Amino acid sequence: MLLEDKVAIVTGGTRGIGRAIVLRLARSGCDVAFTYLKSSQEADLLIREAGKLGRRVLALQADVRDFDQSRQLIERVKDDFGKLDILVNNAGITRDKALMMMTREEWLEVVDTNLNGTFNATRCAIVTFLKQKSGSIVNITSVSGVTGLPRQTNYSASKAGIIGFTKALAREVAAYNIRVNAVAPGFIDTDMIGSLKEEFREAIRKRIPLARFGSADDVSRVVEFMASDRASFITGQVVIVDGGLSIQ
Amino acid sequence: MEDLENEIRNLIAEIIEKEPREVTPDARFFEDLGVDSMMALEILAAMEKKYRIHIPEEKLTQLTTLRQTVAVAREFLDKKGQDA
Repeated sequence: MLLEDKVAIVTGGTRGIGRAIVLRLARSGCDVAFTYLKSSQEADLLIREAGKLGRRVLALQADVRDFDQSRQLIERVKDDFGKLDILVNNAGITRDKALMMMTREEWLEVVDTNLNGTFNATRCAIVTFLKQKSGSIVNITSVSGVTGLPRQTNYSASKAGIIGFTKALAREVAAYNIRVNAVAPGFIDTDMIGSLKEEFREAIRKRIPLARFGSADDVSRVVEFMASDRASFITGQVVIVDGGLSIQ
Repeated sequence: MEDLENEIRNLIAEIIEKEPREVTPDARFFEDLGVDSMMALEILAAMEKKYRIHIPEEKLTQLTTLRQTVAVAREFLDKKGQDA
C-alpha cells in the first residue's frame, strides 16, 4: 500500500472530492483525520464507511478560516495519532456570479475559505514538518485557477493564489524534505457540478476531450500518488486532472 | 548550570556552523551570528530531542541569544521535572 502507516489530515472531508480523498487515503493504509464545518451527518456516515477499512479515522469540526481552530486541529491530530505526514488542503467553496453582480462579501468568503484556509492549515502544520524534516502537502486547486472561468473571478483568483502559494512554499521548504504540490481538478461529478443546468452540463461535456466529467476518484488517485513517496522527486507542481479540457 | 550553557552553546555552534567561542552569552543570533529562522527552528528541535522536552513554537521568537535560549530550555526542563 502506498501510504502504509502514514498520518494525514484532509480539510473539508465530508463531501465530493474531499470525501473520496479520505476514503482513498484510508484504503491506502493511512490514518486519516478530516475536518467538516456543518455536515456532521455526512461526517458520521463517512466515519462509518472509512472505519471499515481498518485504519483510524477521525472527524473534527473545524473552520479553516479560523487560525486558532487550525492550530488546534493540527495539535489534536498529532496528540491522537502521534505524528503528521500528509496535509491535504481541500476545503473550498464557490459563490459564482458575474463580477458586476458580485458582492464584496461573496468575494471575501471565497478567498477566506479557499486561500486563507490553505494558509492557516499549512502555517500550523509546517513547523512540525520542518522539525521532522519530512512531509507532503497537497493543495487542491482548480482548472479554474489555471485558465480562469467566467462567473468565477473570486474562485479563480483564490485557486490561482493557491498555485502561487504552492510553488513559493515548495522552493522554501525543499531543503527540509518537504514536498508541496497542487492538484487541479476540472469538471468533476460532485455537488458543485450537479447544481448546474442540464444544457450547461452538456455544453461543458462537449468541450472535454475525454468526453465525460471526472469522478471524485479520478482526483483522489492523483492525490494519493502525489502524497506518497512514489512522487518523491516531484515538488512545486500542479497536476491538472480535467480530461484534457485545458490542453493548450 | 555551566554544563547546560556549554551543552547548548555547542549544540548551537554546530547548527550554525560557528566556533563555540563565538557563541557568547549575549551575541545576538540574527544580527551578530547570521542565524536565520530555519536555523532557529533547528536549534529548538535539537534541544527538544536532546533534553526530551516539548518547547512550543511560540517560544521561537525568544531564541535570540545563548542566554535567552538557555533560559527557555531551563524553563521547560523545570516543567518536565515537576511533571515527573
